[in-house]
Amino acid sequence: MTIARRIALAAPAVLIAAQALPALAQAPAAGQAPGFYRFKVGAWTITTVNDGFFRRPLEGFVRNAPIAEVQGILAENFMATDTLTVPFTITFAQKDSTLVVFDAGNGVTPAAATNGKMIANMAAAGIDPARVSHVIQSHFHGDHINGLLNAANAAAFPNAEIIVPAAEWGWWSEASNESRSPEGQRPQFANVQRRFAPYQGKVRQVAAGVEVLPGITSIAAYGHTPGHTLYRIADGNEQMIFVADITNRPEFMMRRPEWQIVFDFDGDMAAATRRRVLDMLATDRIRVSGYHFPFPANGYVARHVSGGVQGFVFVPAEWSSAV
Amino acid sequence: MAQRRLMMTTALAAPLLARAAVAQPAPAPAAPATAPGFYRFKLGQFTVTTIYDGFRIMPVQGLVRNAPLEEVQAVLAESFLGPADYRNIYAVTIVDTGRDLVVFDTGNGPQAPGATLGRLLATMPAAGLDPARVSTVVISHFHGDHINGLINATGGAAFPNAEVVVPAREWAWWTEAGNETRSPPGQRPNFANTARRFAPYAGKIRQLSDGAEAVPGIRMHAAEGHSPGHTIWHIADGAAELVYLADITHRPELIARRPDYETLFDFDGAAGAATRRRVLDRMAADRVRVTGFHFPFPAVGFILREAQGFRFVPADWG
Repeated sequence: MTIARRIALAAPAVLIAAQALPALAQAPAAGQAPGFYRFKVGAWTITTVNDGFFRRPLEGFVRNAPIAEVQGILAENFMATDTLTVPFTITFAQKDSTLVVFDAGNGVTPAAATNGKMIANMAAAGIDPARVSHVIQSHFHGDHINGLLNAANAAAFPNAEIIVPAAEWGWWSEASNESRSPEGQRPQFANVQRRFAPYQGKVRQVAAGVEVLPGITSIAAYGHTPGHTLYRIADGNEQMIFVADITNRPEFMMRRPEWQIVFDFDGDMAAATRRRVLDMLATDRIRVSGYHFPFPANGYVARHVSGGVQGFVFVPAEWSSAV
Repeated sequence: MAQRRLMMTTALAAPLLARAAVAQPAPAPAAPATAPGFYRFKLGQFTVTTIYDGFRIMPVQGLVRNAPLEEVQAVLAESFLGPADYRNIYAVTIVDTGRDLVVFDTGNGPQAPGATLGRLLATMPAAGLDPARVSTVVISHFHGDHINGLINATGGAAFPNAEVVVPAREWAWWTEAGNETRSPPGQRPNFANTARRFAPYAGKIRQLSDGAEAVPGIRMHAAEGHSPGHTIWHIADGAAELVYLADITHRPELIARRPDYETLFDFDGAAGAATRRRVLDRMAADRVRVTGFHFPFPAVGFILREAQGFRFVPADWG
């Protein structure tokens, strides 16, 4: 039979009985795919785990730009212009028996909360908190340390050493710094006491620019908080950098690195640090993960000019099924 | 059901959990694979799921027919894509309208074990989707990566209870043997492949003309050039709308940014480029949400004008 003939036989267009269709279509609506993503950096297996999001009014978020300007850039990125959705994604790195989590997430939240999804997503990713060997903190804002505690206010990572920037620890553990901190940040002092309490004797302070674990190096990036720190994760020729809160959402904070946000401890210093770090990342074309980046929160930083401002743009890495 | 399936994924890690309970710094086991390749969002009352059908590596060299290799490599580098290997990626859009469960293109179909593509049927259960429940398969055009998944590993219908809706002009071209010599040599195998892949659906194929509805809420629009009858699909529930762009661009990092590039996959490159500019311009003006077959997974986002063309802006994950 010729090809054309075979097709001709298939061709008569007949609808299947219409009444059969509705029965077929009664789909139980399944939920979203679990919020984790995995890739390799040399021998390191990197897993990013989504911790949900927090939504707040846009008004008041950027302190040194007119809201209309902020809205303009958000709109260009097809984002809402009345509210800001701040996502949370936690980076894990595993190699041999070392399992590191960079920052601890929002922890246990009320059932209706939009944040605090990390615990469920860790389980989906096959990560057991009891197997975490090190928690490495970038800084001590609540969304980064609250997850140190479990629902019983005990250690959420019972077998982990906690590695903290000495500059960050020094600031928030000294009560006399409270009056020298911006008002909005003063609750951090009590919160730091509370969240680190179950880890007595297991907290290690590290300086900037040192190897805190084999293959993991601290990089000072102060300003957003007094000791805000990034971490380079390397194996052989491969590397990535966990850039923590060097920007909030990159869609606008990379485009306008000079903008300062309500969470900045020292906005001027944060902005100067941001520009320096983003410039380095764009030049070196290093893969990064970020705490408030759009999930799965890993990619690259490229230079980008818009509205006459030399800024940057976040280029998400490609999603792949092949780890 | 879906919950149970998701938990089965977790169960793969169960031996690790058990081991860890015994003694603390247990030697860390091999990490499980990454999350299942599906993504879900609402469109009015419709539920849209995109499924990752996988990828195939091919050379950058020869991909674009009307631009120097170095220029193509420079555009790729701006998106941190390498100069030698081009990763051809595939994402299938599935829409549950409540009345109909519609799959847009079928992916690469049965493959040898270990292949990096042809994952649609294996991934659908993880997303709570049963191929036997698909009521409608919509085909944008008849290139192999879009129709090979019509059949399953035994050569039967991968979607046994589905009607297959095809663009009439695409059907007419590839089912008329006399057109073979009038097709570019690289596209001639599509004639035999079309016959083979549609064979299990005899009597269940419906041809559609430009502007017609496949099912309520899903309408076909001609976007010809990439193939003789290539189409895009407008999906709407009330004010909520989505356009499935099929192959209006290959990877948008390259072809949306340089819409005049013609690829080796194009049937009529010049017509394809003109159609692409027209469609992308409309998408950018309307700021409408889009999915694309070769878009970076989860393959949903928006089209933005930029200096020399357009940029694909991924939608927020949520």
